[in-house]
Parts: sequence; structure tokens; C-alpha cells
Amino acid sequence: MSLSIAGMGWITPLGRGVDAVWQRLLGGEEATAQSISSAQNKKTYSGFLVPNEALKDLPPHPRLRRASSISRYAVAAGLDAIASARLGTLKLDMNRLALVFAASNGGVNYTKRFYHGIMESGAQSASPLLFPETVFNAPASHLAAILGINGASYTIVGDGAVGILAIKMASELLQNQSLDCCLIVAAEEADWVLCDAYRKWRLLKARPPIEPFNTPPRGTIFSEGAGALLLTRAGAVKIDAIHAGGNFSHQRNASEIVEWILHDLRDDNACIITSANGTFVDLAEAAAIAGQSPGSMVYSPKQALGESVGASALWQVIAAAQALINKRLPRMVRAPAHAGLRFPDGSNGEVDQNALVLSCGLNQQAAGLRLSI
Amino acid sequence: MSRFNALDGTTSAARVAVVAAGMVSPLGFGLEETLVSLRRATDCVAPVTQFDVTNCRCKTAAQIPDQRLLAGGPNGRKSARLHRASHLMIRALEELVQEDPQFKPELTVIGTTSGGMSFGQDYYRALNRRRSLRHSPEWIANYPPQKPVLDAQEEFGISAPCFVIANACASGTNAIGHAFECVRSGKHKRILTGGYDALSELVFVGFDSLQAATPEKCRPFDRDRSGMVLGEGAAVLALEDLHAARDRGAKILAEIIGYGISTDNHHLTQPDPSGSGPRRAMSDAVKNARISPDNVDYINAHGTATFFNDAAEGKAIRELFQCVPVSSTKSMIGHSLGAAGAIEAVICLLALQSQFLPPNINFRAPDPDLALNIVANESREAKIDIVLSNSFGFGGTNASIVIGKAPP
Repeated sequence: MSLSIAGMGWITPLGRGVDAVWQRLLGGEEATAQSISSAQNKKTYSGFLVPNEALKDLPPHPRLRRASSISRYAVAAGLDAIASARLGTLKLDMNRLALVFAASNGGVNYTKRFYHGIMESGAQSASPLLFPETVFNAPASHLAAILGINGASYTIVGDGAVGILAIKMASELLQNQSLDCCLIVAAEEADWVLCDAYRKWRLLKARPPIEPFNTPPRGTIFSEGAGALLLTRAGAVKIDAIHAGGNFSHQRNASEIVEWILHDLRDDNACIITSANGTFVDLAEAAAIAGQSPGSMVYSPKQALGESVGASALWQVIAAAQALINKRLPRMVRAPAHAGLRFPDGSNGEVDQNALVLSCGLNQQAAGLRLSI
Repeated sequence: MSRFNALDGTTSAARVAVVAAGMVSPLGFGLEETLVSLRRATDCVAPVTQFDVTNCRCKTAAQIPDQRLLAGGPNGRKSARLHRASHLMIRALEELVQEDPQFKPELTVIGTTSGGMSFGQDYYRALNRRRSLRHSPEWIANYPPQKPVLDAQEEFGISAPCFVIANACASGTNAIGHAFECVRSGKHKRILTGGYDALSELVFVGFDSLQAATPEKCRPFDRDRSGMVLGEGAAVLALEDLHAARDRGAKILAEIIGYGISTDNHHLTQPDPSGSGPRRAMSDAVKNARISPDNVDYINAHGTATFFNDAAEGKAIRELFQCVPVSSTKSMIGHSLGAAGAIEAVICLLALQSQFLPPNINFRAPDPDLALNIVANESREAKIDIVLSNSFGFGGTNASIVIGKAPP
């Protein structure tokens, strides 16, 4: 069975729209950090946030009246992917479309507010309006209601690799001939409590820039947004292979899994879109690439867009698809020469017909896939 | 079978066997204890001891005793760091592995709704109250929903890629259903599936705030039903291509034969009163199994005992099936959310193996609007070959699986 990308949607701290974000990446732009403050512990964190204007034309659907940011990002990206597919010749029947929604931390903002209410005012004043929005599958439910999807809808959760696992799941769902296509949406929302947690976990740095493949790693910047892919059985950008990867019990073991994935997917002519984000992930990926595919051109969109965890792997796939369509990669502005890898510098970013996506998450999961055009 | 999916293989409709299972729930540790408790119609609901419920309307839940849960599994410092949900998963998987040590899954597909939620609560409470954050790295690292699954896999040397489905209360059945489809398509030979959830204050108060939880007894499908009680637990099933299982001489416990999934867009938390979502899931599962509704001998209902859920499910059952025996085992063990579908699938498996109908306890008066054949208060001996298990959840997710007796 062939699997192809028929439509894409992208909501990022660099704005909304696949072509718009891609042009800004090609222009060497990086997201601007904003302060995320906590009233509770009086601390301030740096985060890459989605600009308000990115959501201004969302449809006025009743389901979005109280929806969380993560739901709004998911809906916006999903609708954009559907719209871009409809620009082509594809005719969509919502009865023959499945939805897979992926996230890592889910609706943290509402979950925190709900629990804060319990702590401050007692269980008797807990909000029945907030609680349903805290459930992991609330964004998928809103998107399904808006699009009129009444068949298969799955929400899967995991770390940064969850987007690749969502694509793998979609490939399994499309084995069923009663489905024509699968909409995959991955989203994440930023919140100070997440920044605090990732900071305590020693993964976040105080302020930009993100310096991929630097040694030692200095940390990443949390970001938010969503990505969406509409997958069908025929289309220009093909997903040739998906590797569901595996799990690493310690950060120091991540490179073994990543190397195994790269070994299985290897294509010497392919560029590699990595998940390098300024953390231990970079060391794992650099070691794997140096061992398996030292000549490949390496790019990470996270230097410009930040670490959006649950949304990040789909952002990488979108970047890979854009690189194949446009035949070039943006520059890796901050990649160090000592990393021993080949980085696009503006003069050497041409892309052939294949791209690999490596996704090593921050919490034990890694996966990858191969695209071609 | 490799984890490397080249997307160029041919597909075939394989038959899907259950070759091993493991479970921990308020009914007991393991299938044997569970069977005894089911036959005795044990009411496992008791006052909540894990957190303060003074200000809640509902004050009861079906809980697993800490002392026994924590006595098994990993020892020492590692054990102390793990979330309660990890302990649940480890105990369930331990039983499965003991039953079939040769079972090596290519994928793991597990359902949950809340992951390590109580560690998130501990972390936030400590931040907010300026208490010690000494344990915060453990809380943060063990909070993600995939962690209990990875902990359990690691304990038994399993390294399969892990898919965690979070389709609210349908998660467990969706996980089994998706795993079933993956084996049936011929793409995979062996998949570990199931579900888990541990009780947490946030979720408990959430259902209480919606007035979905009852201060009284949980009475599914009763005329005077007043709501659900929460529970907790974990259950895992080893699914394998039937021919592959037979080739290696594995014991076949049952066969999964059908799966249906639907999405009801009526409301985020309430089902369409017409029952169209549950009806479609059940109807698709029966069609998928290539049987007629008349072939179904028992339905393990979602049956939360909330007014609207039971009404929608009851209506859908009545429209599709002729007087089939129905029970909600949540009356005994509460609603264990992401674990519920997996626990109920194992209960169905036990019912098929031991040829009995699990009871729907606390049942006093039939609801005249539903007119269902409820297995009221006591288990019943019965000849059953095919059963159906339902799970429906927030977000309008509906899932049904059809399970058949082990083929001769």
C-alpha cells in the first residue's frame, strides 16, 4: 500500500500556513521568545508562542467557545490540511476519513486551572466546564464535530516521537479499504508549569537561542502550535517507510535506538530532518548519523521553532515534505563545525528526492520515517 | 515480524487469538481471584482512602489495596519512585508473562485516560504551596502516560514500540480493537494490548463536579440509577495470529472476531440520546465479525449507571439485539476509565471459558424505557459462544469488540 501526503497545515510561533512558515525558515528567521510568568512561584520562563493573529479566522463554531489553546491549534491546523487537499483534485467524504490526534502534555492550562480551583476553594467548587476540556481527546472531539467525522477517531499520547507513531497508526488504519484518507493532527500548548517541569528536568534553557548539536548541550526552548497531515493512498510526497522505533530506558541509551532506526531507513542520498533541540537528543542523533549516514545533509527545524514536544515530529515531517517540494533546505544558522556533520549553509542546501525524519523524544521514545517525491 | 513497516506488503485477513491475559482490579489479583469474585457478585466499592473527599458529593470508589499492590513487583528505591499506575501495569503484565513466557510482542497498544495524573497533582501542589520539590524529578519523569507501560515492559524485558491510546473511557476497548485490526491485517503477528488507570483526586473531583458520580450505590440500568463510581486497575491481553499461535503450541484462550468504532459529535460529555453512536459501534463490530446480532450471547455493557449513558446504550442494544443478556460489571468494580475496556474484555474471556454470565449488582427495578434482559444481582450459568463488550467515552468515542470462544 502506498501512503502519501495530500494536504498539510502548520501553526507555529513563526505564524500560520505551510508556505508562510517555510518562507520564514528559508529566510533564516527564528521565533521570538516571550515571557511566560507564573503567579504561583514568581518565576519567568522563555517560550516560543503562537501569535494571536494566527487564529483570527477560526470558524465561530460552538465547540470552540470554551476550547483550550491546544484544541484551537489542532482545529486550525486540521482545517488548513483539509483546505490544502481540497485545492487539488481530492474529493473528501468525511464518512471515509479517520482522525488521529497526537499530543504529549495535552490541555495543561485547563488541567492546571481546574486543579488550582480544587486546591484553593475545595472540591465543592470545582468547575464542571473546565473538567471535560482537560481530557486528552478533547481536541480530537472538537475537530471531529467541526468536520463531521463520525467514524474512527483516535487520540494517542507519547513524547516527541508520538507524531511518527500517529503516522504509523494512520498507515494501519488505511489498510481498511472503507477509508480513503486519514487526517493526522499533532498539537501542544505552552504553559509556565510545563516550562518549570522541563527546566527542573534540566532540558530547558533560560533564553534563546537554541544551539543544535552544540557540545555540551545547553538546553532547549519550549514552544507550541500544531501540525496536520492529510494522508491518502496517492499523492506527490510519498511516505515510503515508517519505523516505529523503540524505547530507551536512559538518555545515554538513546543513540542505540536512533542508530538502529537510521540503519533500517538509511538512504545515502536523503537529507535528514532531525529532532535536535539543544538537549541530549542532539548527542544521540549526531552519533547515529556519524555512524550510519555521515554524508547526509542534516537540518533541524527546532533551532527556529523550538521544542513543541507532541507537535514536533509532525513539524519535522512538514519541513521534510517542504524540502522535497522546494528542493532545498533552510540554513542551519547555529550548527557548530565541530559536530562533524554536514549542515545546509545557504549554498549547499539542495535536496534530491528523498528525506528521512528522525524523531527522538525527551521521554524514552524514538521513531523515524522516509519520504520521497 | 519487523517493526520496520515498508508499506509495500500485501494484506490478508488473519484470525486473532488471545493467548494470554493478566489483570489486577478491585475484584482481585489475577484471573483466578477475579473469577471467584465475579461468581460471588462481590461489591468492591468502599469509602475512598487515597485522598480527602470530604467536600465531594460522592465519597466511594473501588480501590486496590496499597499493601498488596506494592508488595509485588520491583523492590527497593525503584519501586518507591514508580507511579501507582506502573505498579498496576507491572502486576497485570507479570501474570501474562507467567502464562505465556514465549510471547514476544512486536507492538504494544495500551489505553489510558489519566496516565500518572497524581504525580502531576503532587508537583503542582508542591509548587503552589511552596513545599519541598525534592521529589519533583521523579514526579515529572513518571507523569507521562507512556511511562507505566514502559516501566512494565522494562520489568519483563520487552522493548516493543508503545502506542498509548487516550480516547477517554473507550481507550481500553479502542486499544484492543486497534491491536486486533493490526494482527488481522497481516501486518503484525503479536501485539500486547490492554489498558490501565489509577484513581486520582483530579479525575475523581472532575466526575463529582459534573454530578456524574453517585453518593449512593452504583446501579447500572436500574430505574433509579443515580450515577457512576470510579475504580482503578489494569488488564493486558496477548493477541497473536491464530496460525502462528498454533504453530508454536500456544494455549488459545479466546478469539477476537470483530471491532467497531464510531464518533458521536453530539456533545463533549453527553451521548446523543438517540443512541446512534453506540448503535453504530455495535453494529459495525457485529458486521466486522461477520455474524448476525442474534449470534451474540451476552453483552458486557459500558453501563456507567449515569442516566443519559445507560439510556443511550440501552436504546441502542434494544434496537439491535433480541433479548440478549446484558450486565455492567462496573456495578461491582466501578469505572476504571482507560482500563475499563481491557478489564471487561478479560471478564468476557472468563465468562466464555467458564460458561457463565457475570452479574449486574445493586439492581432493584428495571427501567421500563429500556426493557433489557439484565443479569440481575447474581451470576448465571449459561452456554455462550460469542460475547460483545462496549466502551463509550467523553469526546463521543464509542468502541465495541466481539469475542468468541477459543476455536477447537
